[in-house]
Amino acid sequence: MNGTHTLSHAAVRLAGLRKHYGEVRAVDRVDLAIAPGEVVALLGPNGAGKSTTIDMLLGLTKPDSGEVSIFGSSAADAVAHGAVGAMLQGGALLDDATVGEMVGMVASLHRKPMPVAEALRRAGVEDLESRRGTKLSGGQKQRVRFALALVSDPHLLVLDEPTAAMDVASRREFWKSMHAYTASGRTVLFATHYLEEAEEFADRVVLMRAGRVVADGSVAQVRALASGRTLRAVVPGATAQHVAKLPGVTECELRGDRVALSSADSDATLRALLSWFPGAHDIEITAIGLEGAFLTLTADEEGVR
Amino acid sequence: MSLRFLALEIRRVQRSPRFLIFTVAFPVLLFLLYVSIFGGNGQPGMIATLMVGMTSFGAMTSALFVGPRVATERQAGWQRQLRLTPLSGAGYLTAKAATGLALALAPVILVPLVGALAEGVSLNLGSWLRVTLGVWLAAIPFALLGLVIGQIGTADSVQPITQLVMLPMALVGGIFIPIDAMPEWLLQVAHVLPSYWMGQIGRGAVTTELSASLGEAVLWLGVWTVVLGIVVVRRYRRDSARV
Repeated sequence: MNGTHTLSHAAVRLAGLRKHYGEVRAVDRVDLAIAPGEVVALLGPNGAGKSTTIDMLLGLTKPDSGEVSIFGSSAADAVAHGAVGAMLQGGALLDDATVGEMVGMVASLHRKPMPVAEALRRAGVEDLESRRGTKLSGGQKQRVRFALALVSDPHLLVLDEPTAAMDVASRREFWKSMHAYTASGRTVLFATHYLEEAEEFADRVVLMRAGRVVADGSVAQVRALASGRTLRAVVPGATAQHVAKLPGVTECELRGDRVALSSADSDATLRALLSWFPGAHDIEITAIGLEGAFLTLTADEEGVR
Repeated sequence: MSLRFLALEIRRVQRSPRFLIFTVAFPVLLFLLYVSIFGGNGQPGMIATLMVGMTSFGAMTSALFVGPRVATERQAGWQRQLRLTPLSGAGYLTAKAATGLALALAPVILVPLVGALAEGVSLNLGSWLRVTLGVWLAAIPFALLGLVIGQIGTADSVQPITQLVMLPMALVGGIFIPIDAMPEWLLQVAHVLPSYWMGQIGRGAVTTELSASLGEAVLWLGVWTVVLGIVVVRRYRRDSARV
């Protein structure tokens, strides 16, 4: 497999991926293509199907239907060739082996590993080399798992909620070492439910809800999907029909005199509101942002389950 | 199978206090205890029989010891971690079985050594080979049995299951209680157990009483090895198809 050949394939291609557990549709027709060099955040609330998607991508779970390919080959081949490294959620470490032994052993299983010392250094655990699994904190364990994922020197790195057990400081440390890694042109797919991580580290955000991809684009694009602003005001004499007709309004809610509007053009909405209802007062306009986009796009999650 | 993986497996087990107690110290101490109870009045044949029994017991427990580790590693997610490496499932299982056999070397060397040096057991070279190397090879089906238990059991249930398998094997197989003391009907039951035939490998080297031919013992152990090997492979295929 030469370089151009590798580049001609998508790093990851998922087509029509489905997985049901009994009645629950964990993953429901997911299509996703990731180009080499992209850093993609898989964002979604718990139960959105992120982990199941990742397990199928890695060949740990067999899809009910659909195709998985990594650099043009099957997941199993990609794993066997060390093309993909992964950090799983709650992946285990050994209690009775040291960090150096674990990383060294995994390195020995791969054909072209990076030097163990380098993997430890990149993951920021070089000082823990002779420490056993039982003597590590949650954040340290995560970084050791990162070293295990890195040591095969993979082209694609898949991380399932990598910073879940970390405090703020180790989270920052972790992303710093990730940055150094992605700067070398590697492809990264990471699942997270931290918006700020997606916003800060990903080129692209794939938003999942209830087993489906509900939004896919750059951080700015995804935010724009639910862009607009929320306008709240007390409007004496307002009726739902009238308020809904205001320019730019996409959604409205009326409770007594209190009005809450979602608007794609809050300036136009406000001007019209004030001319139609001069008595409107206590007006408040807030931006939705990625957080709001996230909440909007994943809103009926709770209702579904 | 990866040698580096195997080496780490063996190193890890040696760090386990349970391994040191149950598979290294226990068979030796039990042998010395048995000799002081039954073999004190100048019966070298009896002492040799006890020695062979305890060697077999140690080899059997060591080999079965792999089961709990397989179950624990599966439950903890370490197997998932390994599935992201080029190590195949077959490589993993082979290394685990090999680890069990490597552990079995401890009692297989120590118990006869104590027998020869401290208890005055004297045998010819061929017989020594049978009670050491022979018993060690007879541990192969037990390593496979350990794998089966590890594949079936959970981290919680694997210990009781191992005990449930090991105790009847050791008792009825004539390893804990010498078969000389067994009623005829129990001896019939014993005849199907791999532990009985493991015992026969060593017993045949030290006494002609109640001992079967080496060929018959090898045949039985071979059948057990094949049957358990098939079970392990089938179970493994089912496990990897399910996930």
